Amino acid sequence: MESLLQHLERFSELLAVSRTTHVSPWDPATVRRALQWARYLRHVHSRFGRHVRIRTALERRLQKRWRQEGTSGSFPVPGLTNFQALGRCDLLLSLRLLENRALGDAAYHYLLQQLFPGPGVPDADEETLQGSLVRLARRRSAVHMLRFTGYGENSVLEDSVLKTQAELLLQRLREVPKAEGEGPSRFLSALWDRLPQNNFLKVIAAALLLPPSSPRPQGEELELGTPKTPGQGGQELVRWLLAKSDVMAAFCHNLPVGLLTSVAGRHPELSRAYLGLLTDWGRHLRYDLEKGTWVGAESQHASWEELYGRFQSLCQAPPPLKDEVLTALESCKAQDGDFQVPGLSIWTDLLLALGRGS
Amino acid sequence: MCAHCFLQCLAGPFSKMAQDSVGFSSDYQFWMQKLSVWDQASTLETQQDTCLHLPRFQEFLRQVYEVLKEMDSNTIIERFPTIGQLLAKTCWNPFILAFDESQKILIWCLCCLINKEPQNSEESKLNSWTRGLLSHILSAFRFDTKEVGLFTQGLGFAPADYCPGLLKNMVLSLVSELRENHLNGFNTQRRMVPEKIRFLSRVCIPLVTLPDIEPLVEALLIYHGHEPQEVLWPEFFDAVNEAFLLKKISLPISAVVCLWLRHLPSLEKATLHLFDKLISSQRNFLRRIECFLKDSLLPEAACHPAIFRIVDEMFRYALLETDGAPEVLAAIQVFTRCFVEALEKKNKQLKFTFKTYFPYASPSLVMMLLQHPKEIPQELWHQPLKHISEMLREMVEDQTHGSYGGPFECWFLFVHFGGWADIAAEQLVMSEAEPPEALLWLLAFSYSPRDRSLQRAQTMTEVKAVLGHLKKLFRSPTLSAKDLQAAAAESQARDPRPPLCQKLIRRLILNFLLWAPGGHVIAREVITLRISS
Repeated sequence: MESLLQHLERFSELLAVSRTTHVSPWDPATVRRALQWARYLRHVHSRFGRHVRIRTALERRLQKRWRQEGTSGSFPVPGLTNFQALGRCDLLLSLRLLENRALGDAAYHYLLQQLFPGPGVPDADEETLQGSLVRLARRRSAVHMLRFTGYGENSVLEDSVLKTQAELLLQRLREVPKAEGEGPSRFLSALWDRLPQNNFLKVIAAALLLPPSSPRPQGEELELGTPKTPGQGGQELVRWLLAKSDVMAAFCHNLPVGLLTSVAGRHPELSRAYLGLLTDWGRHLRYDLEKGTWVGAESQHASWEELYGRFQSLCQAPPPLKDEVLTALESCKAQDGDFQVPGLSIWTDLLLALGRGS
Repeated sequence: MCAHCFLQCLAGPFSKMAQDSVGFSSDYQFWMQKLSVWDQASTLETQQDTCLHLPRFQEFLRQVYEVLKEMDSNTIIERFPTIGQLLAKTCWNPFILAFDESQKILIWCLCCLINKEPQNSEESKLNSWTRGLLSHILSAFRFDTKEVGLFTQGLGFAPADYCPGLLKNMVLSLVSELRENHLNGFNTQRRMVPEKIRFLSRVCIPLVTLPDIEPLVEALLIYHGHEPQEVLWPEFFDAVNEAFLLKKISLPISAVVCLWLRHLPSLEKATLHLFDKLISSQRNFLRRIECFLKDSLLPEAACHPAIFRIVDEMFRYALLETDGAPEVLAAIQVFTRCFVEALEKKNKQLKFTFKTYFPYASPSLVMMLLQHPKEIPQELWHQPLKHISEMLREMVEDQTHGSYGGPFECWFLFVHFGGWADIAAEQLVMSEAEPPEALLWLLAFSYSPRDRSLQRAQTMTEVKAVLGHLKKLFRSPTLSAKDLQAAAAESQARDPRPPLCQKLIRRLILNFLLWAPGGHVIAREVITLRISS
């Protein structure tokens, strides 16, 4: 058992190195050894897939490694994140080496010979590496071809790309080492700091809207990118959003109105926070007698139009969200003094504009 | 050996190689030109032309590989200085990369170009360039915006990780859009323009054997737009049908029916493919014929009358061309049996009357024939047999009744349902009573439909005579092969029996051997003696 774990450690290091310039002194013999190690681990994967004890031990070691590498601030994600990844470790290694320009010509030549032996008797027992690589190439060109079904709009591609990113995010959230239960939050915060935020917000929304899939039996193979139980990952996301007020503010400010309504409809805790934010925005608006509209005191405050647009969308949502929103507006109006006349309380005016003023 | 032959022998292998290389280099020029015209296959014409040539180009690529693998990198560049261009243009044509095994063969070819010890900067540059192309095929992925790439990298994912998932999501998205358009027509939010659907069908042509694309192919087949003319590309149907016949794609029966209804050549090809399989396999047991038929999905698809009529037509043609070959007859009978089985399973949803399947037959006759002979108890066989015989006789002998198609059509209808002739023969041999005229007529008709009344009457008399002999022998304890020979013998006084009559008598002898108490014992001897043949 111990030797297996050591092997795993060494291979993880190898995988990390395979992307760097450290491979330049490699010769064909080194490549051969690397591929052999990968093949051995893949064999381990197929042999011990149902062996819970070994599986758990290997996963624990991988998680420990991730925790060690990922101090808050920098967060490299390791090549092997869970047991399932072992099933593709030769593919991962091969692709990294193929893309690495630092790999010498002799080593590269040897690698190609190993990966693409040419026509011959196909290995009937297991999926050959050649087969996996070729299938990947074919799928890649399929994506490329389906991309251009634009004819004006490219919504097919955009939606699919967002959905795929969301699935990937949830996958990582499931794998992140849950030391002290802090793991996922820290991970998400690190992502927020490092990655383009606009895209990240859209991905979060997509992730929150993914349909919950049915739970599958243990040990079944899954393609990367398909979540087992997205509900779980979704919970982590919600928790994190609620904890980070700046992210929540950006979330509610930047995303399209309809999307926000859908998210709120699915996640009651978020709808409460969303409403809270909106009421907060509302309180920052003052009535301008000259212009005859409500305006924000400072430029970063939301405008009347933005506020109204969001409430309008929320009121078109199915109950219980709609009812929740109306109740909230009513109670705000009451707190303000329950005015019927426009211009005195923003809540009155909103309700009037929505056609619900009583 | 003459000098001429001797010289030819010497020149033999070399001249072939020379011929091959001439053929190869002209092919090379041809494809080089094609690739230049196709470029990245971004227009309708280039896409169409590429799709037409995909299989042949793949063959050419195989030839290229066979040539390249024997040489090292430097020799290749010497012999084929433009090989780099050829391979690069191939790489940049997504239709070629998507097709079948072309990407694999292309990778093999590129591997041949890699030099393991480059001696100068030229060779290094070639290596670098080739590596770039390989990277392009295997892993490069460019999104329209930078952010997405940063996101996936930030999460630690490479294109290899998310490509399958992305493809799945794109297919799902397209399928649901198609379904929405199909169900809601003009009321959908995202209306699909016909050009887009036609484009999708074109894009699917090289991808048709990729399992991830199956849902999209199915959705396209089932989709009905609102334009009067066909919106899908005809080559799409061809490609799907080919893949289906070679079992490289699995489609539900509903999609296959749509395919065949929308594209007649596909249905014809499928039927011919079935004929081919039936003819080419050596010994066809009925069980195997049934397997082939059910596998082909044709009987189930034939529940749709249009498909049934076309397949039936092809069977009719085959029967006429082969002059009633028994293999074709057997195929028709098994097909009809599987078809009736499938019809009964669909009974609740059945909307078509039998007249739509058999327009040339009287409905009452069809109803009669569709009954299962096995479901009727043996004692009652004679009733339906008599009815069938009478109905057929009336149609055949009544010259004025043009609407029922004449004797051939009647006969063709009857042979669909082989079970009836079988039990008629059984009945004749086994019953003690005088053979009924109706049964004699029925059998004579089924073996020899073209006879005139006089010939048929003669056949019936002959058969009656033989049957008389056989009945005496039926319970004989000392049955011998010689006895049977005598029973089946032709009477010397008359003209020799016509071959079809002979065939019928042979059939009756076989039935006798099967059912007579002493039959099994003498069976081998009888067959060796080849009685009555």
